Amino acid sequence: MARARARPLSAGLVAVMFVAAGLVAIGAFAAVWRRDLTAALAGVPLMFAGAGVAFVGIARFAAAGGPHVFGQEFAVLLAIAAAALVALGLGIAGREGSR
Amino acid sequence: MDSLHAIGFYVSSGISLAGGLGAALLPSRGPRAAALGITGVGLAGIYTALSAGFAAAVALLCYGGAAWLFANPRNRPLEDVQHPNWRQVGSIGAGTLLALLAYSAFRGDFSPATFYGGAFDVAAVGRLILAHDAIATEAVAVLVLVALVGATAMWRVRERGR
Repeated sequence: MARARARPLSAGLVAVMFVAAGLVAIGAFAAVWRRDLTAALAGVPLMFAGAGVAFVGIARFAAAGGPHVFGQEFAVLLAIAAAALVALGLGIAGREGSR
Repeated sequence: MDSLHAIGFYVSSGISLAGGLGAALLPSRGPRAAALGITGVGLAGIYTALSAGFAAAVALLCYGGAAWLFANPRNRPLEDVQHPNWRQVGSIGAGTLLALLAYSAFRGDFSPATFYGGAFDVAAVGRLILAHDAIATEAVAVLVLVALVGATAMWRVRERGR
């Protein structure tokens, strides 16, 4: 009797979108759950990470006719914007002993 | 995607989600910042598995920088004065958001409508945003960036006026 061949492990657009949804939801949870507003700021990069994963995944799997570089470009933009927003938020909050 | 990349994707996804949960739930500043850095490492792994190497390098740099900023012990804590019930309502809202996003990711064809490119699903939206209307999407991104910079500049001017 011939043994059934094992299918190779793969990941598709649905798996990527699940991970993106998880990151966005965890970021939203962090933003609303933390009592300290500077700690709640950690939710912003998480949500941006989810959006970046969705962009790169869609560019990789769905926009096969177009250039993949667009999704990558948006992911880069989102990562830079996330770091900039953290710096801006912590800068607005200020440092202890500075006022 | 071959098996090696798929394994890398799933492992990196686990690392990234675990780091995100740590950043959301850990009580002290140092471990929370480290968790955010771990999220960046996982994110870079996801991008690498999806053939976006440059984005992986930038994500590693940016999330490492953000973690370093969060780890600074001199950051001023700002205690929120909102009612505790709002936190619970917000958590339920985050759970609902996860359910909605997961449902739309699973369904894919979330709308029965069709357009000139065929069925209207996640792949069609991706083609529209990243191929057909890429320039318009770029223009919106620049507009949002200018709005953010303008809002920050206005806030600085108002603060100096006080």
